[in-house]
Amino acid sequence: MIQTRLKQSICALALLSCAHPLAQAGDFNFSGFMSIGGGFVDDESAPSYAGYSEEDLTFDNSLLGIQVSSDISDELSATVQLTARSFDGFDVEAEWAYVSWQATDESTVRIGRLRTPFYMYSDYLDVGYAYPWISPPNEVYYLPFNNVNGIDYYTTGTLGSFDTTMQVYFGGFTDTLNQGGMDVEAKTRNQLGFAGTLAKDWWTFRAAYHTAKLSIDLTPVGLPSSISGPASDLNNAVNSQLPPEAQHTLQSPLTIGGFADFLTHLGYNQNTDRMLIQDDTAQFLEVGVNIDTGTFVAAAEHVELRLDDETLFSDNIRQFVMVGVRTGDWLIHLTASKADDDASQISKGVAVTDQVSGTVKQLLDGLAADDPLTRDTVTLGARWDITAGTALKIQYSDVDTEGRAGQKVYAFALQTVF
Amino acid sequence: MSNFKAMIVAIGLLITPFAALSEIVVVVHPSTGFDSMSADDVSRLFLGKTKKFPNGTAAVPLNQDAGTAARDQFNEQVCKKSASQYKAYWSKLVFTGKGTPPKDAGDSNNVKSLVASNPNMIGYIDGSLVDGSVKVVYTLE
Repeated sequence: MIQTRLKQSICALALLSCAHPLAQAGDFNFSGFMSIGGGFVDDESAPSYAGYSEEDLTFDNSLLGIQVSSDISDELSATVQLTARSFDGFDVEAEWAYVSWQATDESTVRIGRLRTPFYMYSDYLDVGYAYPWISPPNEVYYLPFNNVNGIDYYTTGTLGSFDTTMQVYFGGFTDTLNQGGMDVEAKTRNQLGFAGTLAKDWWTFRAAYHTAKLSIDLTPVGLPSSISGPASDLNNAVNSQLPPEAQHTLQSPLTIGGFADFLTHLGYNQNTDRMLIQDDTAQFLEVGVNIDTGTFVAAAEHVELRLDDETLFSDNIRQFVMVGVRTGDWLIHLTASKADDDASQISKGVAVTDQVSGTVKQLLDGLAADDPLTRDTVTLGARWDITAGTALKIQYSDVDTEGRAGQKVYAFALQTVF
Repeated sequence: MSNFKAMIVAIGLLITPFAALSEIVVVVHPSTGFDSMSADDVSRLFLGKTKKFPNGTAAVPLNQDAGTAARDQFNEQVCKKSASQYKAYWSKLVFTGKGTPPKDAGDSNNVKSLVASNPNMIGYIDGSLVDGSVKVVYTLE
């Protein structure tokens, strides 16, 4: 993966340097952003929250980004944005690498690696300086993939007294995700989406819709003993009724792949398909509003990720509301965010007629119940604009997750653009 | 009499810098086909919401350098943003390829001579520098 990323960066850089001799102005525009931050939590035995995991103050939530763009001709330009994050060991990655064609004064076509316009803050997700928090609310901004390789069309205009923007894109990505401590391969194909905004005075309204064929290879992910234990008992019980050559050997330690084989062996092919994420249609919907009067700021966003036909993953329903007051160089803000996921129905179609079907249903329901997140988080934060281009932020979050002890998270960051 | 003259000159010297600071004007090339713009028209150009003058010709806005009093006053009064908010506004567009902020073009004198030589340019300068080479289309309060 690192190699692919590197290759992509090198290609993009090569593209830029090739473009350079052709450029009329021969100008490179450099811009950059940096966030140096850290924090601590009150209980480090709890799972980490937004990357904060230790009771001692750490300074390891940092990010550096450099963007280079160059005009190839009057209408064509090439842009590369390279970022390095502390949690990735500062490995350099190309977040953006695209060639853009200014088709008209109001519209642009871009091709390459682009930021997927999932959210209101997606475009500048890494540029903390551009928004009030250290990073946007974790419950809503939880998607592990933010970029897409493809093509987009972006246009600005007016509708009555509103300023409008509209972005449409098509593409796909292949990436490695961390799932249950395992690196698994994830990809989307035929990913298609649009995002539009309407803005007037203090108000900006936004809506977005995306759809894709999603595949995430969950087969290497291990299962907890609450699933592997009963599965093993069930296998032994079934085997005892069968001649030796028809007996199934249950994989140990049991993974989702091994469990899928077992379900297929028992004849629950439909539920195996349902459980795994293979070319499943995913839909992502977003609505948001942003208000900035200069003194009073507010924002709210609601997102839903739905996987058609049920998978091991829950449907994610997330939202936040933020209000804030700006006074002089300070912005004080309060945010309530919420995760209220719907567990999937992967046991759908299992008719409980005997011991075996009863246990299978129980296991599938147990697996499905493990995934959804129900959480309420309240965050109080302050942003101090030290100079134009540099802000210091502090934040306190009270995290209340269903089925877990409460958690308190203290964080700070110094964020700049240059 | 000579004392009186000296006094006038001294008062003049004292007043001039303040008078110069207090009035910022938005200027374009004298050949442009319009004589005035609203604060909203000017603000839309400097916030990248449009790339054209109200009459449809291409517009290239020029900023004064960051930290100059004229720029701060212009941002506050026309764009309705503090220096930090202006920076944050543009950082939302710069890193997405959706916009490029107006170029920093120096002080009032630099901006004036650029505008005087290019019918597409628009900038804001100290009102005391206005002469026949540029045309005032908006005056800041």
